[in-house]
Amino acid sequence: MKEIVFAGFGGQGVLTSGLIISDIAVENGENATWMPSYGSAMRGGTANCTVKYGEGIIYNPSQEEPNLLLAMNQPSFDMFIGKVAKDGIVLVSEVVDTTACTRDDVKIVVVPCHKIADEANHSRGANIVMTGAIIKLLGDHTMEQGKAAMERMFNKKGKNKFSELNETVFEAGYNYI
Amino acid sequence: MAKKMMKGNVAIAEAAVRYGVRFYAGYPITPSSEIMEYLSWRLDEVGGAFVQAESELSGVNMVIGAASCGVRALTASSGPGISLKQEGVSTLCDEELSAVVINMVRYGNGLGTLYSSQTDYLRETRGGGQGDYRCIVLCPYSIQEAVDMLGLAYDLAEKYRVVTVFMAEGALGQMMEPVELPDFIETKKNYWGFDGKYSYKKIGIFDRDSMKEAVALREKYAAICENEQRWEDEGIEDADYVFVSYGLTGRSTLGAARELREEGYKVGHIRPITAWPFPHKAFAKINPNVKGIITVEANATGQLIEDVALATKKAMENNVPTYALPYVYGIPAIKDIKEDFVKIANGQVREAY
Amino acid sequence: MAVERKVPAIIDKPMNFCPGCGHGIIIRLIGECLTELGQDQNVIYAIGVGCSSNLGGGLEADRLHCCHGRAAAVATGMKRVNKENIVLTYQGDGDAYCIGIAESLNAAYRNENITVITINNTNFGMTGGQMSVTTMEGQKTSTSKLGRNCDVTGFPMKFPEMVASQFNVAYAARGSVDKPQNIIKLKAYIKNAIEAQMNGEGYSIVEVLSPCPINWGMTPSQSMEHIRDVVMPYFPIGVLKERGEKA
Repeated sequence: MKEIVFAGFGGQGVLTSGLIISDIAVENGENATWMPSYGSAMRGGTANCTVKYGEGIIYNPSQEEPNLLLAMNQPSFDMFIGKVAKDGIVLVSEVVDTTACTRDDVKIVVVPCHKIADEANHSRGANIVMTGAIIKLLGDHTMEQGKAAMERMFNKKGKNKFSELNETVFEAGYNYI
Repeated sequence: MAKKMMKGNVAIAEAAVRYGVRFYAGYPITPSSEIMEYLSWRLDEVGGAFVQAESELSGVNMVIGAASCGVRALTASSGPGISLKQEGVSTLCDEELSAVVINMVRYGNGLGTLYSSQTDYLRETRGGGQGDYRCIVLCPYSIQEAVDMLGLAYDLAEKYRVVTVFMAEGALGQMMEPVELPDFIETKKNYWGFDGKYSYKKIGIFDRDSMKEAVALREKYAAICENEQRWEDEGIEDADYVFVSYGLTGRSTLGAARELREEGYKVGHIRPITAWPFPHKAFAKINPNVKGIITVEANATGQLIEDVALATKKAMENNVPTYALPYVYGIPAIKDIKEDFVKIANGQVREAY
Repeated sequence: MAVERKVPAIIDKPMNFCPGCGHGIIIRLIGECLTELGQDQNVIYAIGVGCSSNLGGGLEADRLHCCHGRAAAVATGMKRVNKENIVLTYQGDGDAYCIGIAESLNAAYRNENITVITINNTNFGMTGGQMSVTTMEGQKTSTSKLGRNCDVTGFPMKFPEMVASQFNVAYAARGSVDKPQNIIKLKAYIKNAIEAQMNGEGYSIVEVLSPCPINWGMTPSQSMEHIRDVVMPYFPIGVLKERGEKA
């Protein structure tokens, strides 16, 4: 079972990234849970969700020890870095300063997702860059599975007008790793 | 049908429509609001009615009106909203009308917080409002179980003419997991429903005989206690310690119990599915030489422990100690449950009863 | 045309009102109107708490005793699922305007297609004559021993005027049972209210000024004079919103 925490500012699409990853797993015949922060926590400041996936029952859908933390901003990094499992992966955007981090038992990966998204003329697609990167980093699913899930997600939301741009930045994120 | 990822509140709302619910009235409150948001447009599609009431109080009284006409009616809320609904719940039970009340439980007293929790166990299992009644209380541990059980909630409410409280932790409504929805059932009106023709001779409040009713009430509740206890258990026949825990907290506890087994601890698990009637029968199977019964709860003071202590006293010969592990809010982490279990096994935790 | 006047079949049972009370007249009028409109076998009553509760014991019709003040909400639930039935609330001023003001106002605000009959006897009759929001200035009740002081308790509330002027309701009227002429007018108001519902026009309300000789400490005939001399000047009778005036 894998546990991933997706965290960033509200509006950065971290909840959607989590949904895409959980959907890939379900489509692949695995179990998955998606647990958002909600209520007052979802207004203003940071948003986060915890996704777990894998074979068999997921007993506790809430956060315990993520195997991977996606931190799209500094507060998210600072809030969750202590919770990441030993040997876990910490994926951060270029805006996060990790120099003060005292943990040496986790692997920190920086992906300049904002720069990649901007260069592709899809500045709102930074979360999709990271979704591609996560799939590659975890190695449980293929790029094709990821793209298919993304399509389903945006079709369902009626936001498929960016589907080409999304594919581009998704691939860029996947290939950056 | 393939399972698809659905949000708990949305899946429950759609399941309600499929189980024949045709009336909803309520007032928004986190973390239950998505249920009414969904039904606000969905009921219209199936010829049902939806009212956004001016208050929880008014909402539950609208449910009384719809239920009195024999229609499957629903309301949902949380924390302080459920408190406001209690006069209506008491009235529904008094008038022997059936309805389902969903409580997406949030933490805290008074206005409280938005955290997922199990703080309403005692209120829901003891009736909640004035008088001398009980509601059947169902506590699902997954979205799939919630969706499957909502039909049962109405079937039981109608069979016994009581209110079924659907008690889930707030997190269950907010999270997503793969779900398969039930098929549509044919809607029906209960035979006691008003039709304007006085077809069903309901007894007015001034013609009622409370002494006679009390006998019937006792018989009804005794029948529910006898017939409707529901639970799941695992590994309790040879257990040194038995966990008792329900809902999402119970699901996490089950994970902890299985891991502890693998690590060589003889632990078992009882997961009440009905909080009322409490599954006393589950305790009959417990190893007579068990060393302790442990509740895992998402509240501050321990509530489930009271029923567990009573059930233990009733089922066990020796004075078996019972322990409460209240983790306040959220879903307790498997790691924490395991660590605290070891403390109990090492005699470092005082028993509750 | 000669009309045979007999007790409507749905209220053919004794009720427990005090001597000189006005409830009996109003209940009879509602029964007559329902019968004449062919709705007496198509009606559900949502009954309030207070003296109005006594109606329940005398009815041969579908009725639910509602929680105190909630009749308009209960009636809303009934009407939304049983659209073909006539749904009436029967409440006192305490039930509808004090404890149930939120439910009463919001049903009117939504223009819910129900008929609300409120009996205004300017006090809480059932519980022993306490002050109500309709209690007259200076009126002595068991919770205003020296007479109602409106400076600190507010002035008598005119609910039908509120909904008629502020909300888009179908019909609003106030009647009285103080004398036969007014009783005849009252019957027309009640009939209009029920007809408005039958036509799906929306919310209709009839408030009825009614005597409470026991709690007022008067004889029945003094009570009727009191309505005319003291109550009616403040609570004028008549139609407050005609049918068809609605937007």
